[in-house]
Amino acid sequence: MKRFLKSRNILVIAAGLAISGAIRMPVEQKLTEDYRERRIAAPKVSVETWNQMGQTGLAGTFGGLRSVMASILSLEAQDHFSNQEWYELKQDYDVITSLDPYNLFYWSHGGWHLAYNAASWARNRHDLKPIQRDTMEREYLEAGDTFYREGLRRIPDAYHLWGELGSLWSNRFKRPDYERALEAYKMAASFGKSRIYERRYVYLLAQIPGREIEGYFEARKLLEQDPSHLRLPSFRAILYALWTNPSLPLSEDRPEILEIFRSEEEAYRNLYNYRLRTEEEGYFRGSIDDTLRILANKLDVPPDWIPFLVNSRYRIPKDFRSKRNVLPHPRSGNPYFQGEE
Amino acid sequence: MSDRLGTSFFSPRRAGIIALSTVTQLVRMKVFYFLAPIALLFVGLQFFDVFWYEGPEASQPQQELMMHKNLCLGTMMLFSSLFAIVSTALLIPGDIEDRTLYTILCKPVPRLDYLVGKLLGVISVIFVAMLVMDILMVVTLHYRTQAVSAELGEYLGAIGWGEEEVRQGQAEVASHGPSLILQYGVWAHFFKASIIAAVALLISTFSTSTLFTIASSVMIWIIGAIQSLAREGLFTKGEYGVEPGMVDRILGTIISLLFPDFQLFESVSDGAARAMEIGMFDMLHLGGLTFFYIAIYTVLSWFVFSDKEF
Repeated sequence: MKRFLKSRNILVIAAGLAISGAIRMPVEQKLTEDYRERRIAAPKVSVETWNQMGQTGLAGTFGGLRSVMASILSLEAQDHFSNQEWYELKQDYDVITSLDPYNLFYWSHGGWHLAYNAASWARNRHDLKPIQRDTMEREYLEAGDTFYREGLRRIPDAYHLWGELGSLWSNRFKRPDYERALEAYKMAASFGKSRIYERRYVYLLAQIPGREIEGYFEARKLLEQDPSHLRLPSFRAILYALWTNPSLPLSEDRPEILEIFRSEEEAYRNLYNYRLRTEEEGYFRGSIDDTLRILANKLDVPPDWIPFLVNSRYRIPKDFRSKRNVLPHPRSGNPYFQGEE
Repeated sequence: MSDRLGTSFFSPRRAGIIALSTVTQLVRMKVFYFLAPIALLFVGLQFFDVFWYEGPEASQPQQELMMHKNLCLGTMMLFSSLFAIVSTALLIPGDIEDRTLYTILCKPVPRLDYLVGKLLGVISVIFVAMLVMDILMVVTLHYRTQAVSAELGEYLGAIGWGEEEVRQGQAEVASHGPSLILQYGVWAHFFKASIIAAVALLISTFSTSTLFTIASSVMIWIIGAIQSLAREGLFTKGEYGVEPGMVDRILGTIISLLFPDFQLFESVSDGAARAMEIGMFDMLHLGGLTFFYIAIYTVLSWFVFSDKEF
C-alpha cells in the first residue's frame, strides 16, 4: 500500500508539474522575448562562449551574480593586460560581455584594450619582422573595431562607442582611416545626445586635406544650430581657419575677428595654440599666419610668443605678455598646458 | 474529513496563526543574526571599488553605483534563496522531531492550513529580512550617489562644461541611485525566494531526510537558473539555424515542463540594477507567475501531505 501511495504521489506530482508547465511555458517564453527585446534580459549566449565560461559561467548563471561575476572577471582581465596576454584578455572580455552584455563600460574597455594596448604592444615587438609586426598591429586594431561594433549591435544607442571608433580611426599615433572615423563620428553625432561628436566630425574634416570646404559648411551649420559652440577655443580657432580658406565660394565673406573671438587677446591666444596643432596634428591652417602677424603687431606681443620668431612647443599662457607660466610643470615636467578642449 | 468535523476546507485565520508561530520558531533559530554580517558587507561596499570605475574622469561614473547595486542585490538573492531552502527544509522535520506536528494535526486543523501557514511563515521572515537589507542598500547607495554626483559636478565644472551639461551628467548619475525600479529588482528576488520556498516545501513533504530536501532544492534552484536555455531550444532555432535533435527536444521538454524558470526574475533584477525601463506591469506579470508557481507547488504538497502517515 505504501509503495502504491509513493508511486501514485510521484505520478501525480509529475503530471501536475507537466500540466502547469505546459500552461506557463508559452507565457514565460513570451515574457523572455519581451524582456530581451527591451534589453532587460540578456541575449542568448553562444555555445562557444559557454565553453569559455567554464565554472565561472555556472556561477554567473545565478542571475543576480552575473554582473558581479563580470566585475570579478574584469579584474582577471586586468591581470592579463598587465602580463600582456592578449589572447586570454580577449577571451575574458568575450565572457564578461556575455555575462553583462548591456554594460557599455565593458564594450568600451575591451575595445580599448584590443585596439590601443594590444595594437601598441604589437607595434613595439621589435623582435618580429616589420611585416609581421605590421600585420599583428592591424589585426588587433581590427579586433578592437569588431569588439566596439559588436557592442553597438548589442546596445544600438551606445553612441559613445561610435565616438570611440571615431577616436580610434582618427588617432594619428595609430593607423588613421579617416573615412571610417568620419562615418563613426557622424553616427555618434546623429543621436543628438552629445555635441562633442558633432564638433569632432568638423575637427576631423579640418584635418583631412581636400575636405576643408565641407568642414567649413559643417562648422557653420553647427554654429547656426547652437551658437554656444563658440565658447570652445578649438571650435573658434578651427572655424576661423576654415573661414579663411581662399578656396571658399566668393559668397562666403571673410569673418571679422570679433565675430568669432571675444577679444583680440583671446583670438591671438587661440590661434597661436591652434597653429601648434596644425603642425602637430595636421589641422588646416588657412591664412591664420596673416592674422597672427597683424594681431602680434597690434597687441605688442613679446617676441617669445610670436611663432615666426621663436619655434616654441609650449601652449601660450593666458597672460602671454609675461613669462611666468612658460616653465615646465614642477611635478610632471610637461610643458605648461593652457588648453580647454 | 474536515467537513465531517465541521471545520472549513481552508481557513486563512488558522493558516495565519500557524504562520505566526512559524515566524516565532524561525526567529528563535536566530536567523536575523545573519543580517549583521550583511549590514557590515553593505556598509563595507561603500569603500570598495575597482580603480578604473573610480572618479568622474572614468568613462562612466555610474559604473561605481551599478557595481554597488549588483553586489547588494546579489547578496540579497543568495541570502533569500538559501534561507528559503534551508528554513523550509527544516520546518516539517523539526515539527516531527519536537512533536509539535502531532499536537497540531490531532486538532481539527486541515493539512492544507498547516502547509500554507508554514510557507507563509517562511515567506514573512524572508520579507522582513529583505526589507532590512533593502533599507541598508538604499541608505548606502544614497550616500554613494551623492558623493559620485558631487564629484562629477566638480569635475565637469572644472573642465568647462556648461551648467546644462553638468546637470545632465548628474541626472544620469542620479538615475542609478535609489529608485522605484531598483525596488522592483528587490521584489523580483523576493518572488524568486518565495517560489524556492514552495519548491522546498513540496520536496519536504515526501522526503525522508532534511539533507535530501536541501540538496534537491539547491539543484532545482540551479536548474531553474538555466531552464530557459532548454525552453528556448524548443521555441527558437539553434545556433547557425540548426534545429535541435529528437533527444534534445525530449530533454528540453522535460526540463521546461518540470522545472521553474528563475531567469525571468533574475533578468528583472539585473535590469533594475542597470536602471532599465521596468514598469508596474512587468511586476504584475512576475507577481502573477509567482502566485501560479506557489499555488501549484502548494496544491501538490497538500496532495502528498494529505495522506502521509507519521
